[in-house]
Amino acid sequence: MGSGDHACLTFSDAEERLDIVSAFVRDGLGLGQKVICFTESIPPGQLVGELADREVPTRTPAARGQLAVRSSDESWLAGGTVTAAGMVDMLGREVELASREGYPGLRVTADMCWALRPVAAAEQLMVFEAEVGKLFSDGRLTAICQYDRHNFDPVTLAFAARAHPRAVAAAVYYEDPLLRICRQYTPPGIRVAGELDYRRVEELTQALAESLRLDHHVHVNLAQLRYLDVAAATAVVQAAASLPDGRVMTVVCGPAVDRTLTLVCGSELARLRVRVAHGRQ
Amino acid sequence: MAGSDQREAGRIPLAALDQPFDEDSLYQLRAAVAAHAEALGAGPRQGDDLLIIAGELASNAIRHGGGRGQLRLWRNGDTLHCRVTDRGPGLADPDGAGRHRPPLAAAGGRGLWVVRQVARAVEIETGPRGTAVTAVVDLNRR
Repeated sequence: MGSGDHACLTFSDAEERLDIVSAFVRDGLGLGQKVICFTESIPPGQLVGELADREVPTRTPAARGQLAVRSSDESWLAGGTVTAAGMVDMLGREVELASREGYPGLRVTADMCWALRPVAAAEQLMVFEAEVGKLFSDGRLTAICQYDRHNFDPVTLAFAARAHPRAVAAAVYYEDPLLRICRQYTPPGIRVAGELDYRRVEELTQALAESLRLDHHVHVNLAQLRYLDVAAATAVVQAAASLPDGRVMTVVCGPAVDRTLTLVCGSELARLRVRVAHGRQ
Repeated sequence: MAGSDQREAGRIPLAALDQPFDEDSLYQLRAAVAAHAEALGAGPRQGDDLLIIAGELASNAIRHGGGRGQLRLWRNGDTLHCRVTDRGPGLADPDGAGRHRPPLAAAGGRGLWVVRQVARAVEIETGPRGTAVTAVVDLNRR
């Protein structure tokens, strides 16, 4: 995402939304920008926890006012009726405030499901997305609007896609109803959900190879993987074994997948760390 | 395998699960094994072990045993038995198969070795007209 970008994130996978929002926040903080997250379905405290889980610094930036996580209730719904004009004004004021405070820019990300509430007139969402474009022209504002596919109708989603110059999504290596292999951004690596066996080892190897190329330390998130067969486990362990000194692969998984990885890996591989997470599935 | 079918009728109790499979029905097979293992009294760890065994034996039947097979699952006292049969070309060295861990760099050959680590016992019957692998899991361990 470059400064001045206005992007749409349409997601079905909750993990993917959190992953991309975290990367957006991390990158903005890294650039010295002010970052505001407007959250709706996830309470602010919980979202801060999710950012921290993904290795995004939160405490120091929040303490000095560089990072703010606010619920829609306390923001644009506080005044009662929501109008597009009111929201565009509010954002414009935030951009000015960030400039006066000395920040090179403002990053905003918002969960747009506030628009589904009765008090928010749905057509105002469309006017908002059309009108807000003028705030992006001088590069001081960068934004991602999040649309949960489960909540929005196809017409609104199609409009949202057209209203945004850009779209963001995780790179997907393979997807069917029972398996998803995609890139993870925070922390960087790959994420696999569902069940993975020998039939998709090629796509898994492709995903691992890209991470080995791009990431210093590789994170393999298997927390939502219910089953991993020996052939796929072998691909993971072989990838870890190929890492040069100083680089480490960290796998997060449940107990069943841990058992298979341990059987395949045998003696300790210094470059492979496995963290067993219970109850994430 | 007519002879062993006759022996089977007297020896093996009614199977809790007796399911054909091919590459397109692996998900259904694994789901059935997981469900039946629990119904037969397997705890979470034994269920995981049984799924590892069933998954690897079924994959071997598909990849090396002609593309399809049959899986039977039954309980005999304190043990669960999983038997996977196929009509493939058979194993060259059934006694030696899966006895040694392949080196990490080797692409395959690890499935049967893992099954031997997880199961209490593995019995292989094989010939030019097919193969039957039976693995036994203890219910009372751990």
